[in-house]
Amino acid sequence: MLLALIFLVVLTFLVIAPLVQIVYTSLIYQSNDLRVVRDARVGQFTLYHYARIFSGRLARSIFYKPFLNSLLVGFGVTVLAMVVGALLAWVLVRTDIHLKRFFNSVIVIPYMMPSWVIALAWLIFFKNDRIAGQQGMLQQLFGLGPPDWFSYGLLPIVICLGLHYYSYSFLLVSGALRTVDSELEEAGAVAGLSRSAILRKITLPIVLPAISSSFILTFTRSMGTFGTPALLGLPVRFFTIPTRIYASINSRNMGDAFVLALVLVVLASVAIYINSRIIGIRKSFVTMQGKGFHSRPTRLGALRVPITIIVLVFLLVAVFMPVVILAYSTFMLLPGDYSFSNLTLHFWVGASDFRRASGQEGILRNDGIGRGVWNSVRLGVLAAAINGIVGLLIGYSVVRSRGRPLSKTLEAVSFAPYVFPSIAMGAIYLGMFARPLGPIPALYGSFVLLVLIVVVKNLPFSSRSGISAMLQIDRSLEESARIHGLPWFKRFRKIIFPLATSGFVSGMILTFITAMRELSLLILLVTPATRVLTSVIFEYESQNQTQHANGVTLILLFIIVVANLIVRRFFGQRSLSGLRDS
Amino acid sequence: MKPKCTVFSLLLLFVFSALFAFAGGGQEMVTKEAYPPEMEEWLKVSKLGPHEGSTQDWAEIERLAKQEGRVVVYSSSSRIANVAEAFEATYPEIKLEGYDLGSVQTLEKTIREQDAGVYNADIITTGGSGQVIYELLAKNRIVNFVPDTVAKEIPKEMKDPLLVRINEAIVFFYNKETYPDAPPIKNVWELTTQKWRGKIVLKNPLESESVFMGICTLAEHADEMAAAYRRFAGKKIELSPGVPDAGYEFIYRLLKNDMVLLSSGSKSAEASGKKGQADPPFSIGSFTYMRYNDTNGFANEVFRDLDPVAGVIYPTYTGIARQAPHPNAAKLLTAFLLGSPEINPDSVIDEPYTEGKSVELLQGLAPYYEMGSQSPRKDVPPPAGGEIWDQVAGKCWTASPEFMWYEAPKVQDFWVQESSQ
Repeated sequence: MLLALIFLVVLTFLVIAPLVQIVYTSLIYQSNDLRVVRDARVGQFTLYHYARIFSGRLARSIFYKPFLNSLLVGFGVTVLAMVVGALLAWVLVRTDIHLKRFFNSVIVIPYMMPSWVIALAWLIFFKNDRIAGQQGMLQQLFGLGPPDWFSYGLLPIVICLGLHYYSYSFLLVSGALRTVDSELEEAGAVAGLSRSAILRKITLPIVLPAISSSFILTFTRSMGTFGTPALLGLPVRFFTIPTRIYASINSRNMGDAFVLALVLVVLASVAIYINSRIIGIRKSFVTMQGKGFHSRPTRLGALRVPITIIVLVFLLVAVFMPVVILAYSTFMLLPGDYSFSNLTLHFWVGASDFRRASGQEGILRNDGIGRGVWNSVRLGVLAAAINGIVGLLIGYSVVRSRGRPLSKTLEAVSFAPYVFPSIAMGAIYLGMFARPLGPIPALYGSFVLLVLIVVVKNLPFSSRSGISAMLQIDRSLEESARIHGLPWFKRFRKIIFPLATSGFVSGMILTFITAMRELSLLILLVTPATRVLTSVIFEYESQNQTQHANGVTLILLFIIVVANLIVRRFFGQRSLSGLRDS
Repeated sequence: MKPKCTVFSLLLLFVFSALFAFAGGGQEMVTKEAYPPEMEEWLKVSKLGPHEGSTQDWAEIERLAKQEGRVVVYSSSSRIANVAEAFEATYPEIKLEGYDLGSVQTLEKTIREQDAGVYNADIITTGGSGQVIYELLAKNRIVNFVPDTVAKEIPKEMKDPLLVRINEAIVFFYNKETYPDAPPIKNVWELTTQKWRGKIVLKNPLESESVFMGICTLAEHADEMAAAYRRFAGKKIELSPGVPDAGYEFIYRLLKNDMVLLSSGSKSAEASGKKGQADPPFSIGSFTYMRYNDTNGFANEVFRDLDPVAGVIYPTYTGIARQAPHPNAAKLLTAFLLGSPEINPDSVIDEPYTEGKSVELLQGLAPYYEMGSQSPRKDVPPPAGGEIWDQVAGKCWTASPEFMWYEAPKVQDFWVQESSQ
């Protein structure tokens, strides 16, 4: 298939070449290494970095311990996120819980925030004397701080990331559940299956691909995340592979950094391999057949109100508290002083005053922030549109040539970006595109490069949703159109595209959100002209200008929520073969 | 399912893309003493380096700079934006494009671009002694340029081999509100005792070049550290197994005494400085965090007399990038960064420094003119509260480029090894 081949070539360049570059860099001396190994030459082949990381004096502290910690974080977060996400998905899609519309629109908010925002909120609450300074709220209230293991380290990292990443499994599982025709389940009931047997034998197998891909996404992402472990792990010196990578890149030990990055790459590849085995064995299910379709919610009966309350409380804790705290903090003249006399509008509308916020103008009149808003929105929209289309096309190519090596390879390659730790990918792209490459001019410093890297990084997402959308469209639909003589483009536009819109749109929203709140990926590539909101937040945060940082976070969140609402309104009301998006 | 097939095609892909990766060539580093020909050419045209001549014609430089119309700065400091504002107000014909990259990215971007034959930057200004001297200057990636308008006011070591734009320091802080009469310790070795266990906070040195320089410089002065230990404990220090000297031993003991690492320097300042703490920790951080005493109501205080050292001074350098496209604008900006030649010790410079008459005098120095940092020029009067620099600087050591270049990687490995819990 031509389409598949074209994608394969382009992706090879954008995805596999950087990987090769990582491997290559890890196997040669860098100029920085000559400081220690003085008789070496730059570019000379060496296993120096591998020896350092895996067997040297440093191995235990730079690799084995952080690796174990990363695995713990990865599994902990994944289990927590999947349980929460899948349960919420089932409750919101398949039951008659109250406030469904409301829940649906706020439940993915944690996903829209940069992942470390919840960690910041955690510290505001549970910080203890260990890192001194402003006391945590708990300690302020009760005079006693929580123990270190509760305030910092593995447990809070897992909880904070779990509350962020559950959205993956929620979105993917709820997407899959929406396509499950209740008639299938009813058929099971008629055949005399118990409720749990229906769940086990009918519902679960259908949503299994979604569950397994959310497992992959959550696991690889949480293994590769930097912000939260840095904030919550550092005070008790709980290091993970990403924090080690970051430190290595920061001290320009690229060789070390890339060896560590490769560990993450390998680990993620193993996870993907296992995943593909599972889906491969289970085969795929065609559930969208252009025939009658309906979905009937399960009645919760007496549990309806209690479950509604549980979900409500959950959202209150995971969504509203962090946001409210952020919002409140932007009105505090001195951080941590919750009295009314300490309230001010200075950080929102104030003019530049060098005694406050290092002379930064208020958020709403700050040109730098305005430019960040424009860049972020531009980036989000462009990346989402490109990703949506590319994802769908890849999905189509993969599904239609399923079983052939080409299909498998394309699928594997389009997943590959997921295994790159964002920060390492940024470093690689910086290196690759700092100079002209054949017909491509030097993209470094340009906005195009940001779009490119976001698109590539999100490819696993969009191609995943493209593939699962395509998997559920029965081939017969397209074939009948072909028999009627419709050319490919028309078939795609008139049949495939409308049917896949649900997956397409959710893929686009995801990309938009990811692009808007991406930091690690972009931090090495942004320049003052292409600064995005997250890098603005990062700057304010690292200068401890909490009010500005939190205010800009709110703006970011606001844009994402509004965009999300618009998209929902726009596409949610289109009903496709009985498929409803509510 | 044909796993073999997939493996094979992936293998092919690898080979295929290996071609892509190598097509552009790996990074090759030439360590030549001599300038490469195209750079020599540029130096001649730009009147830089060996072609600088004996006098600098500032009227001509300004005229050419205005023709160039632009100047691109890679900076480790976010305040480059404020510099841009002031610069463009003074020279509306010249646009300052400032890249606030942090010290690591400033180096990384400069090196990667130049290795790829891309010459975007005009000025590189960053800290990181070892790497700036050994990787940028020694490898001809930057050229030293000292404006003769103020050169005589700058001590030799701050303009040779490379011009220092501003000096800063990493210092020990304690909480003056809790300890109003005297600092709670007199000797740094007290920090390694049970009494102060878990009571020293700093930004993770692996994420902060300047904090790391501070730590390295402590390791560098092993003899002084050993002597200070003797004054503290009354006996010779016993090194722990595998620890080479008293400098490393100090770092080792601090870490074993449950030192607390944070991801932000300003937060370490908050930790030690926040008022109302019964048992505040010490922190190690940038001297300029003293400003938070005003803006955030902290009570940080520096040591005027800590045995053997109260902090570590480190320079932020500035140089003109190799084959800079706007060399004259770069010269003009270099002069601007150091402040007007009209400044003299008796100049009255009022707050806010970035406005009106003050900024006209301070020019590009204005955003950096604050307590806890020091212009290399001897004729610049201190900012409000800035006398404190002289009180502390005498008790500070200065980071050395040699040690930072050749020994710092060992200190770093030691740190990685011992900081892991």
